[in-house]
Amino acid sequence: MLAETSLDIRTVSKTYQVNDQALDVLRNIDFTVEPGEFVSIVGASGCGKSTLLRLIIGLDTEYHGDILLDGRRIDGPGADRSIVFQEHRLFPWLTVEQNVALGLDASDAPVAIRGQSVAEHIDLVRLAGFEKAYPHQLSGGMAQRAAIARALVNRPKILLLDEPLGALDSLTRAYLQDELLRIWRQQSVTVLMVTHDVEEAVYLSDKIVVMEPRPGRIAGIVPIDLDHQRERAAAGFIAHKERVLHLLNH
Amino acid sequence: MSERSLIVPRRRLDRRRLRLGAAPRWISRLPALLWPLALPAIVLLGWQVATTRGWLAPQILPAPAAVVATLIDLARDGDITSNLAISLWRIVSGFAIGAGAGIVFGVALGVSPRLERFLGPSFRAVAQVPSLGWLPFLILIFGIGETLNYVIIAKACFVPVVLNTAGGIRNIPRQYLEVADAFRLTRTTRIFRLILPAALPQVFSGIRLALSHAWIALLVVEMLADTEGVGYMMTWGRTLFQIDVVLAGMVLIGIIGFVMDAGLRRAEKRLRRWVPADG
Repeated sequence: MLAETSLDIRTVSKTYQVNDQALDVLRNIDFTVEPGEFVSIVGASGCGKSTLLRLIIGLDTEYHGDILLDGRRIDGPGADRSIVFQEHRLFPWLTVEQNVALGLDASDAPVAIRGQSVAEHIDLVRLAGFEKAYPHQLSGGMAQRAAIARALVNRPKILLLDEPLGALDSLTRAYLQDELLRIWRQQSVTVLMVTHDVEEAVYLSDKIVVMEPRPGRIAGIVPIDLDHQRERAAAGFIAHKERVLHLLNH
Repeated sequence: MSERSLIVPRRRLDRRRLRLGAAPRWISRLPALLWPLALPAIVLLGWQVATTRGWLAPQILPAPAAVVATLIDLARDGDITSNLAISLWRIVSGFAIGAGAGIVFGVALGVSPRLERFLGPSFRAVAQVPSLGWLPFLILIFGIGETLNYVIIAKACFVPVVLNTAGGIRNIPRQYLEVADAFRLTRTTRIFRLILPAALPQVFSGIRLALSHAWIALLVVEMLADTEGVGYMMTWGRTLFQIDVVLAGMVLIGIIGFVMDAGLRRAEKRLRRWVPADG
């Protein structure tokens, strides 16, 4: 099964009013995420990358330009998109199973199918055996995997990741990067990830959108034409990393 | 919070003693269990000394033993049991009505900004009038009778539960609400899986506050407008200069109130099993 949904971001601008002054957060953001692609957005803090994700998920619908999903303008959250935040944001009073099931709350699938779907996705993120655990009983990496299961359980076409590994230690981080790749391939979902880690972006992505701050705009787009068995020490890998870093620091 | 900070050092103490392997568990716990009783013991001692030395006339402060004897007498006559049964029934039904309605209205106020704008300020203004301030007015409306008791106790419980429930809901972290929006949770799921559990600690402090307000309202209304109940028994004791009856009533109320509050704490703990054990 191949994800068919493309995400078009067309000349999107976003302005906040701060003390009667217009503050440009995003200016003329323009790029496309092809079906099945893994795209990363990198940029310094304040470049509006998280704001852009909020617009795409539909938490904020006031912006100029168009965000199109298969040609339709986004006007709120929908079943076709899902998100993993930097903090896991699992509800502490619900078990892993109940938290993952929240992802199916809006679907009209029958209860039996839901239960099966929840179990499958807990399996997918390798948390089988922890269904009844509460979030405080999980490590940071496990909690984030549960959040990934919650995001995928309704089979969204586009998965948005807002610095999903940003709060984890480097070992867990490296492990979860490989897990993300595995899940992405297994689910053939389109992924748009925000990160500030250039190496992570080069390791995972088909394409990197580099942004610069104040106002948030695109500094350049770097396609990563490496095959998917990537070696961090390989010359090609380092060359791509250099290109992204150059765009970030010019 | 404060009870947690008290419990944690006690546990540590336990473990240290257990490691020494000296005494059985209940003995090592004894000091911790006795500690809360120290202050009552001191007060009781002072009371005894004050009466035996005759610092206060027995008509004003009877000896502890006299109060205990009165308690036993009243229990034997059935005076206390019948009055207590009446008072407890009033408390329980008034509290159930007031707190139940308070949670519903509090959730509505907390969830709907429109309702909050429309009703919130008026409610807060009316809530400023203490329950007792309502009493003369309510006597005119309901007359003196059983309905008045329920209304005044329910009203006393309603206000703190509404304020705390609505406040608890307003304090729910924005991050969780964004999750609810992003995953398009249904209204029912939102209320039962996010709003109520998240607001639970504050809802419970409202409920416990309501219980103490219920006692105040009960006693005042019984003292002013009833011919039965613990409050009436105490007023009756005062007018006959039987201060031992008044004190017996106070002791009873203290003990029952303490037990009810402990029950509510237990209930809260059960409902919040997901909280990590060490904070």
